[in-house]
This record gives sequence, structure tokens and C-alpha cells, in this order.
Amino acid sequence: MSERSEGTIELVIPAKLEYLDLVDNVVEAVNELMHFDEDTKTAVSISVVEAGTNAIQHGCLKNGVQGVVKMAFEVAPDVLTVTILDPGAGFDPTKLPDPTSPENLLRERGRGIFIMRQMMDEVTFDFDRGCAVRLVKHRR
Amino acid sequence: MKIARSDKEDVVVLQVGGKLMGGTDADIFQENLRLILDEGRRKILVDLGDVSWVNSTGLGILIAAHAQVERAGGELKLCKVSRRVESILMVTRLNMIFESYADEAQALASF
Repeated sequence: MSERSEGTIELVIPAKLEYLDLVDNVVEAVNELMHFDEDTKTAVSISVVEAGTNAIQHGCLKNGVQGVVKMAFEVAPDVLTVTILDPGAGFDPTKLPDPTSPENLLRERGRGIFIMRQMMDEVTFDFDRGCAVRLVKHRR
Repeated sequence: MKIARSDKEDVVVLQVGGKLMGGTDADIFQENLRLILDEGRRKILVDLGDVSWVNSTGLGILIAAHAQVERAGGELKLCKVSRRVESILMVTRLNMIFESYADEAQALASF
């Protein structure tokens, strides 16, 4: 598609890790719509998969919720906004340890949000109706 | 995730394929390593050339594997890390933990 696209693509997946591959394929297609460069495509793919992983593991499976994870990809000419919504109660995003500090570097968990924050332009949370993560990436 | 084993002299090469994303992957990886360590093998090379992506849970599997081998007095190294996996290792600074090589020959020579 040579023209710059606009619109919203919605995806609803069961809370199962095996559906992350489908998510990755959708992100790949959205990245093409955005005409992102290779580094940006990698950053968006990694971040959305991380958000999906968190939504499935923390929003659903750990709480024993057999729910779904909803994703919306808002495509605008120069910015992509991805919202990932799970039915979980959320968390305090200001109280996450730095996974790169020496005492945490070998911990097996706790990197997902750090990775998103490093790779996206904006990462925000909304816990009004479940746990919503909003990821923003501008076209460079 | 799929794992294929091949022995290159005293180095065990684990060729991993697919997606490294947690769930049952962690148990499969841990069990493969346990069997290798029980054989007395201590040099492990994880070939990630066929891994299309890894998430933070998958990183956890690699960290646990690294610790498991180190506790046994061995070494675990990586090779053929894709751009995407390299990117996530760099951001999380796990590139400081994992010795990584562009190809298998270089990695084997490093043990």
C-alpha cells in the first residue's frame, strides 16, 4: 500500500500464549502499513508481543481468568497507537524494579514493561475497566 | 519451541527453533539441560538461528538455563542470534551475561 493509511484494526485473542504468534503476524502487517523503518518495526513487534504476554500471563492466567485479550491498532499517517486490554486488576507501574540493576539482572521475570518503555515513544496505563496498556510509536 | 541436540566433540549444541515464549518451553528446556548435565557434559552452545522471536518470558528461560549450567560448573553460550533477539538482549543488558557468537564455528572455538 503506497498511500499512507488511517483506521483502526481490532484483534481479540483467547488468553493463551500460542496466540502471540498470530499477534506478531498482525503487527508485522501493521508495521508495513506504517512504512516504519526496520529498527522501528523491531521495536513495535517486540513491545506489542511483550504487552500481549503480560496481558495473557498476568491479566488472565495468574488470576484464573479464562478471558480474552483485546488489541486495537490505530493507524494514523505518522503515528501508531496500540492498546492492549485484559480483564486483570492492573498494578502500580511506578513500583517496578529496574531489571538492569545488578541485583535484578539475573532475575527470570520482570522485564516486559521495561522493554516496552525502552522501545516505544509512549507507554501509558489505564486501570478503569480492566488493565489497558497504550503504546505509541511515531514514524521517524 | 523445538530443540535438536548435536554433539561437537566436547560441546553440546542445542539448536532451538520457533518461538521462545515461556509456558511449557521452560520445562522442555530445563529437562534437556538436566539430561545433558547428568551426562557430565559442561559445555553448552545454544544455537538461536531458527528462533524467530523471544519474549521476556523466553529470556527468563535462557537466564535460568545459564544459571543451571553455571551452578554445575559449566558454560552456556549463544550463537546465531537474530537482529530481533539481539535487540532485546541489548535493551535488557543481558548481552553482558550471555557470550554470543555470529556463527557456530566461532562459538565452538571459544570454549
